[in-house]
Amino acid sequence: MNCEEFANLDPDLEALTQGGEHDAAREHVRNCPACAALYESSQRLRAELRDLGSATAQATAPSRVEMRLRQEFRTRHTTEKNRGRAIVAGWLLAAATIVLVGGSLFVWRGAKNQVAHNEPATAPEAAEAAASGPELGGTLIAENDGEEFALIPGALPGLQDETTVVRVQMQRGALSALGLTVNEEHANDLVEVDLLLGADGQPQAYRLPQEAN
Amino acid sequence: MSIEDQERDEVLLKRSAKGDEHAFTQLYRRYQAQIYRFARRMTGETWGAEEIVQDVFMTLVREPRKFDPDRGTLGAFLYGVARNRVMKHLERRPREFPLEVRSEEGEAKVVDIADQRTPAHLAEMRERREQVRSAVLALPPEFRETVVLCELEELSYEEAAKILECPVGTVRSRLHRGRALLLAKLELLREVPKRANAVL
Repeated sequence: MNCEEFANLDPDLEALTQGGEHDAAREHVRNCPACAALYESSQRLRAELRDLGSATAQATAPSRVEMRLRQEFRTRHTTEKNRGRAIVAGWLLAAATIVLVGGSLFVWRGAKNQVAHNEPATAPEAAEAAASGPELGGTLIAENDGEEFALIPGALPGLQDETTVVRVQMQRGALSALGLTVNEEHANDLVEVDLLLGADGQPQAYRLPQEAN
Repeated sequence: MSIEDQERDEVLLKRSAKGDEHAFTQLYRRYQAQIYRFARRMTGETWGAEEIVQDVFMTLVREPRKFDPDRGTLGAFLYGVARNRVMKHLERRPREFPLEVRSEEGEAKVVDIADQRTPAHLAEMRERREQVRSAVLALPPEFRETVVLCELEELSYEEAAKILECPVGTVRSRLHRGRALLLAKLELLREVPKRANAVL
């Protein structure tokens, strides 16, 4: 073994003292003062490193580090728990809102259908009555109060599904437009008139409730 | 570390991830000392080492799933995290050496009354230990961590290789070079007083 080969053995120098497979190295140390000195220095270094290692072997992190970490751990897991609860509460709230909105929509649509179902029941009959009215010399009858409707001249009532009865106030003079004879002395008086409106919003027939009374 | 211990680590880690503070504390107490020593030997700073220990264990709190038992032990994982933190710490730090001259043994020092060595001898030993410590701190980080793990922590080459994520051969060669650098530096320091005495 030469000096270079010996130097390359450095990490395993300990093997020299433990015997084993490094007989050649041991032999070289005996014969080479430079390598013997290197070996000695190396052993001293290892002893010094071991000394440093054992001197610091008992070093531990100060207890304040553990305190800080545990505090952080607690805060973190409490926050996570609260966040979990908030998420569940949020979902419950959203579900409740959906149920509420859905229920309201259902009730509203049911009510709307009910109204739509009731109103057309009167309207076609009134329309039929109107259709057989003026042309046939008949009258319209509103089911709600049993009063007679007279067809407005020029109106063409058909079988419409949706008609509406509205009560309006108008000057008596305006009744002449409906083909009625009006006393001109009372032309400015206000009278109440029920108008039967078609689906297009145009009046089809009228009646004078106070006259009926 | 035995397989039983590893399994216990995994169980503790799972419990800790679910919010069990006792499990977390057990894990901390099991590993804090070696991580702290490694950080302190690598940085040469008490405060730096404390910060690193805190960072390492905060990783366990924040991201426990980062640890994959199939890739190694929890100890090796924690060393790996500590190593990354140490490197970042060293990059951030100015190039000068710290002024901190506290003893490596820590704050509390116990005097061995039975010790027959003279005060001069003890002072010399302390000085020499300080020289070794400074020399280790002056090593380039890749050699320093190998020396710290294999010489000061007395881990096997295989264990060090797992922590350093490199082949065993690399550990051996880094250790070889690290020792050579230390030897050169410490022999030089040893020669200086001799030469000074010779002049006198």
